[in-house]
Amino acid sequence: MIAFDANMVLYIIEIVIGGLLVGVGVHFVPVGGAPAAMAQATGVGTGTVQLAAGSGLTGLLSAGLMMGVTDNIALIVISGAVGAMIMVDATMIVGNWVYIYGVGVPPVSAKVDYDPITKEPQPPYISPGTVGHGIPTVSFVSGTIGGLLGGAGGSLIYYALMSINQNPGLSGFFAIGIFVVNAVIASYNIQGTIEGFHDPKFKRVPRAVQACLVASLVIGIFAVLITGGA
Amino acid sequence: MDMVSMGLLAAMGALATVAGASEDLESDVGSQSNPNSQVQLAAQVGHPHRIYNKAISGEPPSNALYAALAAVTASVLMSGYGMNAFFAIAIGAVVAAIFNGIYSVTAYMGRNTSQARFNQYVYLDVLRTHTTTIMAHAYITAFCVVTISYIMTAPWLPIQHPFPMPLVAFIWGLAIGAIGSSTGDVHYGAEREFQAYPFGAGLNAANSGDIVTKGEAGLRSSIDNAWFCARFGGPATGMAFGLTVFLDNWRTTIFDPATQGWLAIATGVVIVILFNVYNRILEIRSKKRYGPYPEYAGDIEA
Repeated sequence: MIAFDANMVLYIIEIVIGGLLVGVGVHFVPVGGAPAAMAQATGVGTGTVQLAAGSGLTGLLSAGLMMGVTDNIALIVISGAVGAMIMVDATMIVGNWVYIYGVGVPPVSAKVDYDPITKEPQPPYISPGTVGHGIPTVSFVSGTIGGLLGGAGGSLIYYALMSINQNPGLSGFFAIGIFVVNAVIASYNIQGTIEGFHDPKFKRVPRAVQACLVASLVIGIFAVLITGGA
Repeated sequence: MDMVSMGLLAAMGALATVAGASEDLESDVGSQSNPNSQVQLAAQVGHPHRIYNKAISGEPPSNALYAALAAVTASVLMSGYGMNAFFAIAIGAVVAAIFNGIYSVTAYMGRNTSQARFNQYVYLDVLRTHTTTIMAHAYITAFCVVTISYIMTAPWLPIQHPFPMPLVAFIWGLAIGAIGSSTGDVHYGAEREFQAYPFGAGLNAANSGDIVTKGEAGLRSSIDNAWFCARFGGPATGMAFGLTVFLDNWRTTIFDPATQGWLAIATGVVIVILFNVYNRILEIRSKKRYGPYPEYAGDIEA
């Protein structure tokens, strides 16, 4: 039996904020889906949920390690964010190695004529019959931000659940579940491929925020009740 | 930081590098993940082939399943039967490899029989030779991932991660699948499958499905593909996973999270900034080396 108090509401709010961070963060991660695996589209050659979950949950491991030794929420959440950024950056760097040295194509964006960060022209470097390839600077920076938000969101969810039950295994598993639900909702909004924050699809973020808000709220209530009762 | 922690960290980095390479080669032999869309399409556009075809699921969920299965088995053997960790992990990895083999065979049979109308055959010799190769690679991956998880969670070793070992293995399995599908598979999908087209371009959408089906002698098999990808895509994937595991744990090894947490975070931020700078250098060098495409006819100058 659990006692329902004001702290429960706080935990639910933390889970909802974490879910929203994950939902928004997925929009920043540049993924090109199956076409990118054939150097046919800009971004990392995998699915949206796959890379976001891979990085966010690596961040969760860092956050879990940190929470084993401290209760400082800032330290835990930022540690998770940094862990996720390292994973997504290492993946994007090596992805670019394969594009540049293995396939012989320069990283280039097809959604903008000039890279918003470096101001370099993009269209002359796009190979014929494709919509870009590799991970150009703007997408790389965007992916790093995506890792930051995803890792921070996952860690915040974990922190809230740990505050309730003090059980790392149970909290970790629920955090993964809530993370994946929000990542999947966001990837429906993205519809397969996105280059980063400069992509026109990024304007759809408000819709994902609404959907993730509802989903995280419902899951948050159940997660608090279920894990609190354990 | 002590010497034991540093040695364990080095072992984890090395195990992760081996695991990354074997994971990528496993997906190349089996043709899992995104490049399999072209293998699937090939028969439909008139190119029946002898490439293995096992899109069981995305690589991250499947590898998370294998790693978690191996870790649960090892965990039960260690805690329930008091088995030595080395043998328990080895038996766990065998269980994961057997599951992988079952999924591979059903996926290959199901996918190829459903394409019978496009003259795509089920080759029993391919099934026999490739499935064992796939299982062998899956065994190496599961063994390495579970060993990393064991090092992170064992109560007598210094890291002592609070998560249970199967959960850590699940997360690393998911991460290794995400990395394998993001890095090494591009070498298979964009280069090896379309070697008949000139080097230095992505796949033109008009050529979709026109994969190379003939080998140096006879017909090309997926083991030929693994031979090619083992030269760059596989080791590159290993580098990516090795870097992730090593760098993420390195900063909490050199700085004690309990007393120097902020320094560990600052180190991570510096690593991330260096990655961003290095990517920019890569971009500049590649554009300078390759130059704009001669076929480009637009107004924007390079």
